[in-house]
Amino acid sequence: MTHLSMEALLGLREPGLEPGAATAREHLNQCPLCQAELDRLHQRVARLKALPPLRPGRDRWPETAARYKAERRRRRSRMAVLTGLATAASLAVVVGIGRMTQPASPTGEELHQTMERSQALENALSAYNPEGRVLDGRTARMAQELEDRIARVDRELEATELLPQEPPQDQLLQLWRERVGLLDALVDVHVTRASNAGL
Amino acid sequence: MPGTLLMDSSLLANAQTVVARARTGDPEALASLYRAFEVPVYNLARRICRTAEDAEDVLQETFFEVCRSIGRYREEGSLWGWVRTIAASKALMRIRRNKYRDTDELHDEFVGQRQEDTHLRMDLEAALERLSETSRAVVWLHDVEGYTHEEIASMMGKTPSFSKSQLARAHARLRVWLGEEGTL
Repeated sequence: MTHLSMEALLGLREPGLEPGAATAREHLNQCPLCQAELDRLHQRVARLKALPPLRPGRDRWPETAARYKAERRRRRSRMAVLTGLATAASLAVVVGIGRMTQPASPTGEELHQTMERSQALENALSAYNPEGRVLDGRTARMAQELEDRIARVDRELEATELLPQEPPQDQLLQLWRERVGLLDALVDVHVTRASNAGL
Repeated sequence: MPGTLLMDSSLLANAQTVVARARTGDPEALASLYRAFEVPVYNLARRICRTAEDAEDVLQETFFEVCRSIGRYREEGSLWGWVRTIAASKALMRIRRNKYRDTDELHDEFVGQRQEDTHLRMDLEAALERLSETSRAVVWLHDVEGYTHEEIASMMGKTPSFSKSQLARAHARLRVWLGEEGTL
């Protein structure tokens, strides 16, 4: 007598009608050996389902969160740069008009330079590609803390964009300076770590 | 479903609120999602991938994707079902990358040893570990997670027949390694 193959036995467990299932079932009804084999198959699957869960050896959330925050920051930064360029253009018009009537304020020019510095640091971080690298726990925590603080500044910058009137230049300059300082520190954390580890 | 049993019940009770907050990028809500699904995602990844390091990388890749894509989750299926599909895809991507290691030579050698040393009987964990990554992935996704051969084929970029034959081959091996041979 030809017994059922493993593929045929597995086919009997499928919800739909597999090709040859009717013949296989007919054989099964008459064959105690194949019935025992199908029972063993059911038991094996039940034992697989009952295996205890395996748990990760370490917490991967800090790295995951830092990576996600960095990506969000980059997305926000691209938006902020676009909006910032528009703001800078309108400031240039205002400053230009102002120069005709009164002494020029250095704030507009400084704001523009600070935004450019911020973009240069973003580019440096992007070139270093921190998301593609594995961070040790301490570096990941420091980077995450800085990412959190940059995200907070970005939220404040976004809030100024929603104001009905143009925000005071001093306030904008202050926020952009803070952003540059934090980005500088973030580059430092990554680059220092890389040089210490010889990467 | 094993994943469901491992999930944090407080998340299940507040799933809609947590998802709504996670969509705004709320760090606490995203961390809650991670804590709720960390073990089932890692378990799935570890059952499929060869090493714990690979499984931890899959865990990180999965949650990075969850954070980025939570806005696209439409709540049509269960949250765990959505997260699990991301995890399974990432794990399969990882074994495709490691494919050079995924040969059956090791396993055939092992069968040779088994035939000489017939009193040795492996436990299920060890036998599962001995399967090739592809076979193990099919066994786990089909028999434990409940995916159909069509779904597995689609995730693997193969045919349903490939999935069926991998499953049959894997069970034939497990049967021998577990010392379950009958008279067939």
